[in-house]
Formats: sequence, structure tokens, C-alpha cells
Amino acid sequence: MERVGSIMGGRLLSSILPVMLGILGSLVANFPVSFVGGWVSPPMLAFMPLYFWGIVRPDLMTPFWAFVLGVLEDFLSGGPPGVWAASFLAAYFVIDRQRDMLAGLSGIGAIVGFAVAALVACVSAYAIVSVYNWTLLPLAPVMGELAVTVIVYVFAVMVFGAVHRRLVGPLRSDF
Amino acid sequence: MANGGWRIARNRGGAQLPIVLLAALAIALILIGKAQSNLFDSARAGVTDWAAPALQAVRAPLAGLDRWTASIGSIFNVYEENLRLKDENARLRQWHNVAIVLDDRVKRYQLLLHAVPDPALSSVAARVIGRANRPFLQTMILDAGKAQGVKPGQGVIDARGMIGRIFLTGDHTAWVILLTDLNSRVPVTIEPGNIQAIMAGDNSGAPSLDLLSQNVRLKAGDQVVSSGDGGLLPPGLAIGTVVADPNGGFRVVLLADAASSEDVNVVDFKLKAEQPPAVSPNDLPATAAGLPPAAPQAPVVAPLVPALPGTAPGTGPLPSALPPATQAAGAAKPQTPGVTDATPDAGDQ
Repeated sequence: MERVGSIMGGRLLSSILPVMLGILGSLVANFPVSFVGGWVSPPMLAFMPLYFWGIVRPDLMTPFWAFVLGVLEDFLSGGPPGVWAASFLAAYFVIDRQRDMLAGLSGIGAIVGFAVAALVACVSAYAIVSVYNWTLLPLAPVMGELAVTVIVYVFAVMVFGAVHRRLVGPLRSDF
Repeated sequence: MANGGWRIARNRGGAQLPIVLLAALAIALILIGKAQSNLFDSARAGVTDWAAPALQAVRAPLAGLDRWTASIGSIFNVYEENLRLKDENARLRQWHNVAIVLDDRVKRYQLLLHAVPDPALSSVAARVIGRANRPFLQTMILDAGKAQGVKPGQGVIDARGMIGRIFLTGDHTAWVILLTDLNSRVPVTIEPGNIQAIMAGDNSGAPSLDLLSQNVRLKAGDQVVSSGDGGLLPPGLAIGTVVADPNGGFRVVLLADAASSEDVNVVDFKLKAEQPPAVSPNDLPATAAGLPPAAPQAPVVAPLVPALPGTAPGTGPLPSALPPATQAAGAAKPQTPGVTDATPDAGDQ
């Protein structure tokens, strides 16, 4: 009985782990302390687990969680509400449509795939905020954030891979 | 570093509908946020208050690292920077002497003209405990809030000039919207010429200038200070210098560097309504005519009495203890025959 409870607790933990990593990423990225003297924007840490598990475990990283992570990003960043929520959903839409292709990528291709998805999120946010303020914003800050996000993802994907192998695992029905 | 090794969970199905619904919800959230911009504000202020001790604890060891990384770029041109600073320092010393002389002259002129002096400013000293440099938002967080008297709208300055304005206050923390932020709009005056303009941030390093008049000409090097329009910011706060925008128009190079400011002042500026000078006994017409001023009397409600015989209605002496403005009002007030003014005049005593 104790073992069954342990297994069920472990399964619950593994099922919420991707979302928890997304929330943790949002908290860390929006912690208002700059490690690089404010030169560049912080990476979109919340988007990384969203992309990774949105491909390999879409049953755990659903559109609802993409929306929640976006709202959290809006709330913590101090910006207007709904911008990142809509942007993450736009990127999730692309991920959902191109899941097979993105899941088949490896090496540099996997990074390029992530970069395309992150670009969709950034361009969506840029367009929404430009319309929101009815002005054409400078592109450099958002492109800087995109570049930093892609660079950090190179290392983050290794961590996600290890977490997925050890803790999350594939969906049981896939076997 | 590959996605290829992972098997995809296929039994999720039907994701399109939730995405559409959630996208509609997100758009509704954007529209609601546009209509009610303070949707998240109270919650944000609460979270910031709650996280303030953690921010301060983390900020302390990181501040040195922050400064070090920010100064990496300047390591390679220390010698040239030193020469430039020495030259600038020499010029500033000259300007300092000029400023002292001019300040003394202005004070003497104000004394001669009986000019109303500028209102004194009080300020709240605060420490920067956080910075958020996001693509669409540039803010900083201070460790002073409502408990210290900080209110939204107040200006934030450092030793060099204005940094931004308070836009959200918690009990012990406050968020500052920087002058470079997209949402920043500050009425400014450009000197010389007293040219009025609106300085608008656009997330670039130098805010743009929207001139209120098309018939003025700016030139690079003009000084930009706050105009004080609106009554939230004091006039004359140093902001920056005008530079020409390569894409047309003009921009402002800010004097303050928000990225390196550690301690700031929140300017508490309350524009008091200008009051007319108090009337002294020497200003009264009776005194001016050489008569002794009447003793002040407590206002009493007089009973309705008939007008004195021989006194035409409305032609009685005006109460001399009232200020001239009240006298004029009393003179203009139509008198009903048989009814005296409610305030007894000195001549009735």
C-alpha cells in the first residue's frame, strides 16, 4: 500500500514537473536583479519547458499551461496583461502543428527549431505591444532577448533531457 | 541536445479548440488590461512587498558582480576615459564658479522684485533593490513605499538628474517607470528659449521629443528640464541634453544612468495654491486716509431693523474691517429697503 502511494506520488510529481519548471523559469527570469549589468534582457526561461515538453509530452504541457505560464510572465514582468499569454499560445499553435517535424530534429536542427518557435513568441509579443501602444517599437531589445534565449536553451535542453529521462519519462500508452 | 530521441504522446487530441478559446481569453485579457491598466497592480505591489527582503538579501552580493560586469567594457579604454574626465572636470569647475555667481545674482533679483520663491522640495531617500530590463518594460524597484510617504506620480532623481516616476506603490516598495520606458511621458522645457515639449520614451536609450509648437527650432546641446506642467513634477529638474535623431526629429540623452543608480531620491512635490498676501491694517482704506482702524468684531446676526432715517438704502458706510474684496461685494449687493446688511458696520456701534 505504501509503495502504491509512493508510485502515485511520484507519478503526480513527474506529471507536474514540466509546469513547475516553467513556473520556476518565469520566477527566475523575472527576478529583478541583472547579472550582466542590464546589457541584455533576461532569457524567456518559462518558454523553454513549454517548448520541450510541448513536443515530447503535450499531455503534460497543454495549451492551458501555456496560457497560465504566459499570464504568470505578464504578471511578474510588470507589463500589460495578456501579451505573453497570447504570444505563448501563438508559439504553442506552431509547435502543435509542427510537432512531428520538431520532434525529429536533432543537434543544431533542434536548436533552430526552438529558435523558430521562440521567434514566433517574440514577434507575436512585439506585434501585440506595438498595436497596444500604437507605435513601432525598436526591434533590438526583443531580438536581444531572443538571442539570449536561444543561447541559454543550448544548455537548458541538456537539463530538460536529463529530467525527462529520470523523472518524467514517456507516456505509458506510447509503449 | 536532440528532440529526436523522445517519443511523442499521441493520445492528447483536440488541442486546437482549447488554443482558440484560450487565445480569445488572452485577447480579452489584453483588452481589459488596456481599459483598466491597474488590473494587476495591487497584486504586483503585494508580491513585491512580500519579496522585498529576499530582493535586498540577493541584491547585496550581486551588486558588486553587477558593477563588475557592467564595467567590463570600460576596462579597455581606462586611459582615454581618464583624460576625458580630467578635461570635463576642469570645465565643470569653471561652470561651478559661474553657477555660484549666477545663483547669487538671481537671489538678489528675486529680493528686489519681491518674487515668490520656488517651493521647497522634500524628498525620500530610497535604495534600488531591483531592476527589470525587459523588451517592453524598463523599471526599477525601490525599498520605500506608502509607509515612507511615496505616492504614484512622484519624480525619482539621482545625483545627476531625473530617472523616472513612481507608478506603483506597495507598503514598503515602489516601482519606478524609467524615462526610457515606452509608457513614459514627461512634459519638459528646453532651454534656452523656454520651448515646451513632451518627452516620450520608446524603449530606446534616448527618449524622443514631441514639440508642442511647430515654429520652434532646436539645436543639439540644448538643455532639457522638467516643465512642472500638471503639478506632479517640480519645474527645473535636470533631465538631459538634446541631440539630433538620424531618422529625423530630436532625442534626449539623459544625464542620469538608471542602470548604475544605487541610491535615489523620490521628490515629494506638492504644488501649493498661491495665496494672496495677507491684508495688514496699513492696507485698509481707513488707515490710508489717516483714520484709526476699527476694532475687529465678532460677526453676529443682526435683527432685522429698519434703515436709519435719512440714510438712503444702499448708501450707508461699508464695514471698514472687511477686506477690500468683501467691501466690493458688499457694495455690489443690492439692499432691500427696510432691511440692513446682516453684518453690522462700525458706524452702528
